[in-house]
Amino acid sequence: MASMVVVQHKQPSSTILSSSLSDFNGARLTASVQYKRKVWQLKGALRVTASSSKKILIMGGTRFIGLFLSRLLVKEGHQVTLFTRGKAPIAQQLPGEPDSEFSDFASKILHLKGDRKDFDFVKSSLSAEGFDVVYDINGREADEVEPILDALPNLEQYIYCSSAGVYLKSDYLPHFETDAVDPKSRHKGKLETESLLASRDVNWTSIRPVYIYGPLNYNPVEEWFFHRLKAGRPIPIPNSGMQVTQLGHVKDLATAFIKVLGNEKASKEVFNISGEKYVTFDGLAKACAKAGGFPEPEIIHYNPKEFDFGKKKPFPFRDQHFFASVEKAKSVLGLKPEFDLVEGLTDSYNLDFGRGTFRKEADFSTDDIILGKSLVLQS
Amino acid sequence: MATAIASSSSSLIFFSTSLSSYSLSPLQRISLSSTSHHSLSSSLSISPSFLALSAKSPRRAVSSFSPSFAVRAEKKNVLVVNTNSGGHAVIGFYFAKELLAAGHGVTILTVGEEGSDKMKKPPFNRFSEIVGAGGKTVWGEPADIGKVLEGATFDVVLDNNGKDLDTVRPVADWAKSSGVKQFLFISSAGIYKPTDEPPHVEGDTVKADAGHVGVEKYISETFGNWASFRPQYMIGSGNNKDCEEWFFDRIVRGRPVLIPGSGMQLTNIAHVRDLSSMLTLAVEKPEAASGNIFNCVSDRAVTLDGMAKLCAQAAGLPVEIVHYDPKAVGIDAKKAFPFRNMHFYAEPRAAKEILGWTGTTNLTVDLKERFDEYVKIGRDKKEIKFETDDKILAALKVPVAV
Repeated sequence: MASMVVVQHKQPSSTILSSSLSDFNGARLTASVQYKRKVWQLKGALRVTASSSKKILIMGGTRFIGLFLSRLLVKEGHQVTLFTRGKAPIAQQLPGEPDSEFSDFASKILHLKGDRKDFDFVKSSLSAEGFDVVYDINGREADEVEPILDALPNLEQYIYCSSAGVYLKSDYLPHFETDAVDPKSRHKGKLETESLLASRDVNWTSIRPVYIYGPLNYNPVEEWFFHRLKAGRPIPIPNSGMQVTQLGHVKDLATAFIKVLGNEKASKEVFNISGEKYVTFDGLAKACAKAGGFPEPEIIHYNPKEFDFGKKKPFPFRDQHFFASVEKAKSVLGLKPEFDLVEGLTDSYNLDFGRGTFRKEADFSTDDIILGKSLVLQS
Repeated sequence: MATAIASSSSSLIFFSTSLSSYSLSPLQRISLSSTSHHSLSSSLSISPSFLALSAKSPRRAVSSFSPSFAVRAEKKNVLVVNTNSGGHAVIGFYFAKELLAAGHGVTILTVGEEGSDKMKKPPFNRFSEIVGAGGKTVWGEPADIGKVLEGATFDVVLDNNGKDLDTVRPVADWAKSSGVKQFLFISSAGIYKPTDEPPHVEGDTVKADAGHVGVEKYISETFGNWASFRPQYMIGSGNNKDCEEWFFDRIVRGRPVLIPGSGMQLTNIAHVRDLSSMLTLAVEKPEAASGNIFNCVSDRAVTLDGMAKLCAQAAGLPVEIVHYDPKAVGIDAKKAFPFRNMHFYAEPRAAKEILGWTGTTNLTVDLKERFDEYVKIGRDKKEIKFETDDKILAALKVPVAV
């Protein structure tokens, strides 16, 4: 008998996994590890059966997505090299990561130091090394990809982190992978890269995330709300607050990147990757409060046109509906996100903001303009 | 029961009948959909490439665009118990025609009397199309269903009438006692509890006191093979209730389209052929469908503003959208506007995963067809009074005290 009054979002289909996942439910984790090898073994249905160990290059990999992706790849037994300028350490211990796991990772991860904008260097160093697969996590422009493709004629797969920001704004949603894209968008470099990949004789896969969140996020998505919740401040949200957006946990994104590796079904395909449910702006404020154990927030709606914020962004999301269907990834790749919104935000809070860490200092200057207080210069 | 056999070199079997035609575009490809969560066998489903979504829409109102694939072994005798009014009335009409086209037997029992005034409206005034296709039409009260049907028996029953258990129970009880194998129910996506995290997905919390919930519970306890379908709004020729017409009425007369709130509210408006194809799939894949709830809606949400713009586009005319706050203006938005003044957005995820259903609604194309009919029947010339609209407009001219 189907249950009709079920509170959770998970469909009955996940019953196989839910009991084993309960230990790894982000909401219940305190200091324990996020992603033990065990998790991947239990989630048999989600595991990639990439049989052989590959020589993998990640462009970037030291900031956010790559931190989680590189660990998964190393655990799968691949030889992983990060191409970075070396500004950030190649191996940084993640919050909650046990020492033994971290040292294992640190001993295996390799570094190719260079500037990807130096196309000659990229071409020569990559062709000298030879790689089976490239994960391009930080590419923004199409010209950055050419030297990589030139250097690696026998490349098995080029996996690109694109963005759902390429979709043309629409009243008719969600965005599907086949929807119109906007050649004038801020993300047109991503689009041009996708086109380049499609035009070259390479096996490519493109992943389009929506808003990514999770521990160590450098984009102030959840952090923006947490700062205000912690300070006991009202949350100013533009217009109606019923704009619908979508967040995807970074660990689910890393899983998706693993899932497409060596996967025929991903060949020359684009996939939207994000959470299964969308959320209104107001709803997101409330979810962040729940995640951090804060009381329900006071939300103030305002008309952004009535204010002059100068160059500052008063709110971290696009003021419009913005969400994409992840059904293609679900049906073609068998991908099911592990985290629902409150669980994922709780995971982020417990491992990052809740421990006192964040990327950007709180800046309430635009809030104060909205709330009608005078702008006080920060000392 | 029909079972699909998965094989690497499969031949496709389509229903080709005199009334509707299916075409396989080169973009369609077969994919194995894993239905292992809900049934033990996996079934082949055809998923047309998403590019096919923008392909041509059916020329006829009832031709089904999404082919259903099954090794069909037997003809089913289907009874549709149909409401005599309202937005859901048209569902039974399309479903009956699609089943008949697929070679099944159909009887449609409409509530009430054949001679009533209600029968002069669509889709009832087009029931000759059902009879012409080989179906039977009868009238009567669901409470007397056994008598009304004079002992006829059926394999499948769809109750497209009751909103509460009192109305559906006699139908369900009779169906059970007369050996009906599969019981289907048209419920409503309106029973979902409002959420901050759209869309409404099968399994989400519903309002416990909703009449439809009581029905779903009862049929799940009564029948071995049952399914419930939760629709939202529909467009389509033969509709008993205005949907897109509300917008056309204003657009063709150069009147502003008055939308409560921000206009950003998301809703789901499907062409009724999508609902019909989902129901037909359930009849043809009874094991897969069994025990499930299906959101019976299109693939996409549209904002209220977006719907106004799409209607204007379909009419080839400009549109002026005016937003208003119903409370400030002193109006009951339910009476002034045909859609809910909130996000009301379900997605058809179970149908896609479990039945291999694909949606074909494309409002850009479908509204054009609807507008053509709107003009053809002369509704653009009809004299209409816009009393509520005028009231709202008058109230808006008055400056609102802050």
